[in-house]
Amino acid sequence: MLLEVAGLDLRYGATHAVKGVSLTVGEGEIVTVLGANGAGKSSLLKAIAGAEKPTGGTIQFNGRDITGRGASQRVRDGLVLVPEGRQIFVSLSVEENLLMGAYTRSGAEVARDAEEIFDRFPNLEARRHAPASVLSGGEQQMLAVGRALLARPKLMMLDEPSLGLSPIVVDQLFDLIAELNAQGLSILLVEQNTQMALEVASRGYVLELGALRAEGTAEELAADASLVEAYLGNAEDAA
Amino acid sequence: MLIVQQVLNGLMLGGIYVAVAVAFTLTIGILNFLNFTIPTLFMLAGMIGWSVSFYGLPFGMSEPLGWIPSLAIGILCAIVASLIVERFTYRYFKAKHGDATEHAIPLVSSLGFLLIFEYMILIAHGSDPRGFHTPFGDLNWRVAGLVISIPQVVGLIVSLAIVAGLSVLLARSKLGRALRATAEKPDTAVLMGVEVNRIVPIVFIMTGLLCGLAGALFAVNYGEVSPFMGEQVGTKAIAGMVLGGLGSVWGAVAGGLIVGLTETFSIYFFGATSAQVTIWGLLLVILLIRPKGLFGHNAIGKGKF
Ligand SMILES: Nc1ncnc2c1ncn2[C@@H]1O[C@H](COP(=O)(O)OP(=O)(O)OP(=O)(O)O)[C@@H](O)[C@H]1O
Ligand SMILES: [Mg+2]
Repeated sequence: MLLEVAGLDLRYGATHAVKGVSLTVGEGEIVTVLGANGAGKSSLLKAIAGAEKPTGGTIQFNGRDITGRGASQRVRDGLVLVPEGRQIFVSLSVEENLLMGAYTRSGAEVARDAEEIFDRFPNLEARRHAPASVLSGGEQQMLAVGRALLARPKLMMLDEPSLGLSPIVVDQLFDLIAELNAQGLSILLVEQNTQMALEVASRGYVLELGALRAEGTAEELAADASLVEAYLGNAEDAA
Repeated sequence: MLIVQQVLNGLMLGGIYVAVAVAFTLTIGILNFLNFTIPTLFMLAGMIGWSVSFYGLPFGMSEPLGWIPSLAIGILCAIVASLIVERFTYRYFKAKHGDATEHAIPLVSSLGFLLIFEYMILIAHGSDPRGFHTPFGDLNWRVAGLVISIPQVVGLIVSLAIVAGLSVLLARSKLGRALRATAEKPDTAVLMGVEVNRIVPIVFIMTGLLCGLAGALFAVNYGEVSPFMGEQVGTKAIAGMVLGGLGSVWGAVAGGLIVGLTETFSIYFFGATSAQVTIWGLLLVILLIRPKGLFGHNAIGKGKF
C-alpha cells in the first residue's frame, strides 16, 4: 500500500473531528472519501498532509512511518494536498503560484515541469504573468492542481475540487483526475459530489461525524442508495 | 542655494527614516505585526556602536578605522536583539496559541522589549545624550556654495541600496516568493513545504539589519546618541510608512524621504519645535485624501500566522 492510515484521531480542543479512521490507498489507485458537511473530511486530509497534528494513530507512506514527519518533509516524500477552496495565492502571479508548488525542489527540471503544466493548461499559459486573482474558478482549480503536480507527487489528495464549479468545468476536472491517474498518479479524493467521485474511484469510504461508517468498492457504495441517503445528505444540494 | 542645501539635508535625514520605515512595513506586510521593538533596535546599534568605540576600540585599532568594526558590532547586536524578540514574542505565541497576530500579546510584548532594551542601556550609560566628534564629521564636499557631507551621502546610498536589494529579493527570489505567499496564506504555504518557523526569522534579521544600519548611520552623521534616540526616529518612520502605504516597500522609501524633507523645511521656516506638528499634520491631510497612503495596496498582510 502506498498510504496506510491506522486509527487516526484528531481533536481541536473539545471538537473530536476525526475518530479513529483507518484507510488505505494502493499504488495507482483512486480512492474517495465521502461525507456531509462537517464530517471531518478536510481534517483527515490535513492530518495526513501534516498540516494538523493528529492526537492518535499512525500514518505510513511508501513503506515508512511518517506520523512524526513535518508537512514539508511529506511534500518531499511525494504526498501533496490540493486544499479545499483551491487556496490560490492571489497576490502572486500565475507562474509564481506554480513555482510555489516546486518549493521543495530545485534545479533546471522545475522550469521544464512548469512548461509542461503550461502546455497542459493553455488558459494558464496565456495569463502566466498576470496576478492569479484574474483567473476564473475553474482556472484556479487547474492552477491548484498544476501547482501540486510541480511537487512531483506520488499521491495527490484533493479536497472537494468540484466545489463551486460549473457542470462543464466539473466534467473537465474529473477527466483530468482520470488522466493523471492513468499516467500513474495515485489519488485520494474527498468529494460531496458523490456520483462523480464514485464514477472515477475504484474504492471509497464514508465518513460521518468523524467516524468511518462504510467502505467498499465504488460499485458497492453506488449501489447502496440508503447509505447515500443516511450519511451523505442530499448530494445534489451539497454539490 | 540655502533651499537646495535644505533639500540635500532633508534627503540625508530621510535616508535614516527610510531604513526604519521599511523595517516597519516589512513586518506589517509579511507578518501582519506592528513590531514596537524596531525603534530600540535602531537605538541599540547607535548606542552600542558608539560605546564600543568610546570605551575601547576593538582590535587596538585607531580612531577613524576603529569606528567601522564598532558600528558593525552595533548592527550585529541589533540583529541578535531582533531574533530574541522573534523567539520570545512571535514564535512563542504562534507555537502556544496557533495564531500569533490575532492576539494583542506579541504587540504588547514587543512594546515590553522596547522598554527593557531601552532601560538596560539607560542603566549602563545614564539617560543623558552623548555628543561626540566622529572622525568622519569633517569630510565635506563643497560645490557651488553647498556643503555636502560625504558620510551622509554614503549613508543615503547604502540605505537605498540595501532597500533596493531587499525589494529585488522579495520580488524575484524563491525566498521572496515564499515570504509573499506566507504573508497571504500561511496555512497554504505550509502545504507547499514552506517551513514557516524558518522563514519568519529571516524577516526579523532583515528588520535588525535595516534598523541597525540606520542607527549606525545616525550616530556617525549626527554625532549624538541617547537611550531614547529610537523613539523620535521610530515615530517619524511610522509616519513615513503610513504616508507611503502600509506594506509597500517603495512607499516606505518615498514616505521616509518625504518626512525627512518635511522636517528639515519645517525647522528651516518655522523653527526647531515645529517639525512634529508639520509632519503629523501632513500625514493626516494625505490620509484624508488617500486613506491607503501614497502607494498603498490591499493584497498583502491579510494572512494570519
Ligand atoms: N481549526 C479548527 N478548529 C476547531 N474546530 C474545527 C477546525 N477545523 C474544523 N473544525 C471542526 O471539525 C469538524 C470537522 O470539520 P472538517 O472541516 O474537517 O469537515 P469537512 O468534512 O471537511 O466539512 P466540509 O464538507 O464543510 O468541508 C467540524 O465540526 C468543524 O467545525
Ligand atoms: Mg472540508
